Amino acid sequence: MKEHIFEIISSAVRDMGEELENETLQHVSEETKLFGNGGALDSLALVSLIADVEEKIYDTFERAIVLADERAMSQRTSPFRDVGSLCNYVEKLLND
Amino acid sequence: MEWMDFSAFSNKNCVISNEGTYTYTHLSHTIQMLQDSVISGIVPGEVIAILSDYSFESVALFLALMKNHNIIVPITATLESEIEDKLSESYTNKAIRIRDGKYFVQELHQEKNHPIIETLRLRGHSGLVLFSSGSTGKPKAMIHDLDTLAQSYSGKKPKSMNLLLFLMFDHIGGLNTLLNILSMGATMIIPASRNVEEICHLIEKYAIAVLPSSPTFLNLMMIADAQNRFNLSSLRMITYGTEAMSDTLLERLKTAFPRVKFLQTFGTSETGIATTSSLSSNSTFMKIDDPDLDYRIESGELWLRSHTQILGYLNASMESFTEDGWFKTGDLVEEGENGYLRIIGRSKEVINVGGEKVLPIEVESVLMQMSQIDDALVYAIPNAITGQSVAVEVVLHDPSDTEGIKKTIRQFCKNKLDPYKIPTHVKVVDHTNFSERFKKMRINR
Repeated sequence: MKEHIFEIISSAVRDMGEELENETLQHVSEETKLFGNGGALDSLALVSLIADVEEKIYDTFERAIVLADERAMSQRTSPFRDVGSLCNYVEKLLND
Repeated sequence: MEWMDFSAFSNKNCVISNEGTYTYTHLSHTIQMLQDSVISGIVPGEVIAILSDYSFESVALFLALMKNHNIIVPITATLESEIEDKLSESYTNKAIRIRDGKYFVQELHQEKNHPIIETLRLRGHSGLVLFSSGSTGKPKAMIHDLDTLAQSYSGKKPKSMNLLLFLMFDHIGGLNTLLNILSMGATMIIPASRNVEEICHLIEKYAIAVLPSSPTFLNLMMIADAQNRFNLSSLRMITYGTEAMSDTLLERLKTAFPRVKFLQTFGTSETGIATTSSLSSNSTFMKIDDPDLDYRIESGELWLRSHTQILGYLNASMESFTEDGWFKTGDLVEEGENGYLRIIGRSKEVINVGGEKVLPIEVESVLMQMSQIDDALVYAIPNAITGQSVAVEVVLHDPSDTEGIKKTIRQFCKNKLDPYKIPTHVKVVDHTNFSERFKKMRINR
């Protein structure tokens, strides 16, 4: 499952990288920073990325998850800081 | 009401429908027959519902009840629960159903009364109850002085032309078309249904010159390629109202109908229909030019005050009116030069993306520039990061073309819209949601 999630997230990040013409985002790894703390996304790009990930997760796992909600926003360390943390958060939601 | 005397139009056709063709003489006779029989037991001032859409019989009944100084409640709903709600909210005394050309009167034993209805009774005027088609909350029942409203149509020049009754019997726009037709002695064509095929078929068959419509309906015509499948060369004018028109759609329409004049109409159930003139056929700017109506703009919202506005609501407060009688329409307008205005959306439909305001029509207008897209409906979805974000449902020209559509859309919008206006959610659909009045439904999704 973990690889699937990583694949889904990296493909969404690569798409966003193309759109923003950002090289770093187009070469995705677990360490690729996303939002805040030097990440390449602003809040609008993050909302769009999250929508893509939610949709692809639904297509693959037939599970509707909400990534951006009060719970995500109130985490001490943001799940949106990098690709690795987002993968873990998605996995956690799918296992809930 | 002197213009309600149709003797001058005697042998001209008044109504053409599936059921037949009826002249103004027919109409006068039927009104007389109704006064002598069906409504002879109805006391002036009683509230009478007409449960029917447009037909020769319903038009005749409407006029007979008006002459009898009744308060008329046209109801086109077919769902029993909705009908019951409307009968009760409007204090209806009797309901008249029309089936197979016959009238059935039902006594409702109404015991309640409302002060505004009492006022009309004391004036000896006829009345009209309309329901708001608001997408939020319970429909508001509003009451017009029908004598005053109808009087505003008097003194029109007689004209021989076929007009289509596109909007419904319980809609201010539909009643506006009806009263206009009757005051000019023109001919009303009543469609059996309101789909693109039927409407276009009627335009062709009866050489209809004027089509009153809405942007949503006109776009459905474009999607159906109606301009190439039907002979619509009789059309001289297409009027559009009830919702904002996008520049892109108007451009598509102008290309499809180069000889037709496009005119924006504007009105509300509360104030009646305003006399407007468009800057040009390919402009969404219009001028409100109506001696019976004043307007002003408060924080981008259009406020209206007219001689023909409602006396009040039967089941709601007057909070949408100011103390001095201005109606806050909820329509947002942009001011152009020389007093021209452009309707840019409903205040309730504005999307708030992290404090930035987005008007759905602006985004839709850009999306409609894409050849891949036949229709687009932009709406808000809640979001924990920016509060709301911009979502869109698109109808694709080639329905199999879904691969990478979001990417294509965002790429296309990139230099045409501010970043916060670019849709973050894209959903491909077969058709966008619209109401039975052909108005896009953007909220409460």
